[in-house]
Amino acid sequence: MFNIFSLIFKYIFIIIIYMFIFSIIRLIYLDIKGINLTPTGDFAYLKLLNRKDTLPFKIDEYYSIKNVLSLGRSGGNDIIIKDPYISKKHFKIVEDEKEFFIEDLGSANGTFINDERIEDVVKLNNGDRIKISNIEFIFVNR
Amino acid sequence: MFSNKISSKTPRRFLFLFEILALLLLFIHQKDNFDKQTFINGFALIVIIYASNYILLKVSRGDNYIFLIATMLVSIGAIMIYRMDAKTGTRQLMWLFLSILIFYATYFMLKYIKIWDKLLYVYIGGAYLLFGLTFALGERKFGAINWINIKGVSLQPAEITKLLVIFIMAAYYSNYNKYKKTKYSSYLILGIMYSFIALLFLQRDLGMAVLMYGIYIGLQFIYEEDRKLIAYNIGLFIISGIIGYFAFNHVRVRVETWLNPWIYINDKGYQITQSLFAIAEGGFFGKGIGLGFPHFIPLAYNDFIFSAICEEMGIFTGMGIIMLFMILVYRGFKIGMSQWNMFFRILAIGISILFAIQSIIIIGGVIKLIPLTGITLPFVSYGGSSIVTSFMALGILQAASEDMDWQVNDDE
Repeated sequence: MFNIFSLIFKYIFIIIIYMFIFSIIRLIYLDIKGINLTPTGDFAYLKLLNRKDTLPFKIDEYYSIKNVLSLGRSGGNDIIIKDPYISKKHFKIVEDEKEFFIEDLGSANGTFINDERIEDVVKLNNGDRIKISNIEFIFVNR
Repeated sequence: MFSNKISSKTPRRFLFLFEILALLLLFIHQKDNFDKQTFINGFALIVIIYASNYILLKVSRGDNYIFLIATMLVSIGAIMIYRMDAKTGTRQLMWLFLSILIFYATYFMLKYIKIWDKLLYVYIGGAYLLFGLTFALGERKFGAINWINIKGVSLQPAEITKLLVIFIMAAYYSNYNKYKKTKYSSYLILGIMYSFIALLFLQRDLGMAVLMYGIYIGLQFIYEEDRKLIAYNIGLFIISGIIGYFAFNHVRVRVETWLNPWIYINDKGYQITQSLFAIAEGGFFGKGIGLGFPHFIPLAYNDFIFSAICEEMGIFTGMGIIMLFMILVYRGFKIGMSQWNMFFRILAIGISILFAIQSIIIIGGVIKLIPLTGITLPFVSYGGSSIVTSFMALGILQAASEDMDWQVNDDE
């Protein structure tokens, strides 16, 4: 009886191994397709900390900051994220003499820098975590 | 299952299914004299692997494929080892428990301790110490003195040394500008590496010598600014290879049995011919687990596990293993390329080269593509130190897959 099972199982094993490989390749393919080119040079950018496939809306890995960067749900923003917990105009990052300042634009659910809700204009430092809804960015400025 | 939507859970479920089916097959096999303990061990391990893959997704922001691939390879290997010898298989499961613990330990140590790139001299000293230990306490096994025996547990110190080689190269080239001020510092590294290779040669551990050379030349080729040195290095290797061929009998035997093993079928060509017979016997789909004769291959659960797998699970599984290694190496290089921190970048590339060369050496060896040198197939082969260091390397890769840049102080 074992022989019969073993003969059947060898085909099943091969099928499973190939399905496994296929699913990993497929996931890697999706991962690569979504990569925005990593920013080079020495300007500041926001990097997404969440795993991209856990977020159900369109979002990029990197957003470079030039002069002004605004984020929100409505069309006029530089970064548009269709998350219901994000306000139409959520926050704005402004560059001033090589320093970057973030300002919350009266959003309903707030903007958090390193887990602290900001009220006023706040200066951003390299490595600060910016959290809105459950999306987290890290601010990089080298 | 066949729809376009593949979530990140899918491969984890396939792995789980694969392991459960293997356990079921064991259950059918043992239905008369049922061994409860093994069954519990196996099931516990399946749960641990599943949970680890799940936890890792939460803990690490980095790559989440490499651990999956490694656990798949381990599962295929463990099934085969258990089928050949139940006692060895049980021990392999124990090593696997330990390895997964060590994987996490390595991962967290590399992530939270930040002095790794400044310990160049410690790594060099450690490597020589391990060689010294091997010569002092080592015993000759399968023609090579590369094992030390501590309370019944055989260890192969060279397995750790190969990781130290990667650390030496990473520590050196990530602080290249500092060390460059010393004249001929790259030549010093060259000397140290060749002393390692010479010592391995004396231990008759040819596979490991080739592996270390491969890691060394790979990283040197990428990062060395003195391009002349690379030419010297290749030239030196060719010359020492030729000298080795004429001076040492055990090197000549490897080449002779590679060119034509059939005339030595009764003695020195026995291993390789049995391996070829086994692969041919299996065909595309294999004989079925438990229905082949892998015992005819010497060292079937160690170096020759690839042939044993091909015999019972088919060439398709063999090709699957090669594909898994290719994805693993590809991920490793991708991790290296997207890492900003120089030290971790070199570590990631070094480890990818390690997995790539080690699997090529042994898979190529057993199918008679290149001369056979004894080395384990990472993750698949039986062997305590082999599987532990493979998982250690994987832990390093996992740590390197995360963005390390803002954790380093701005002292540059």
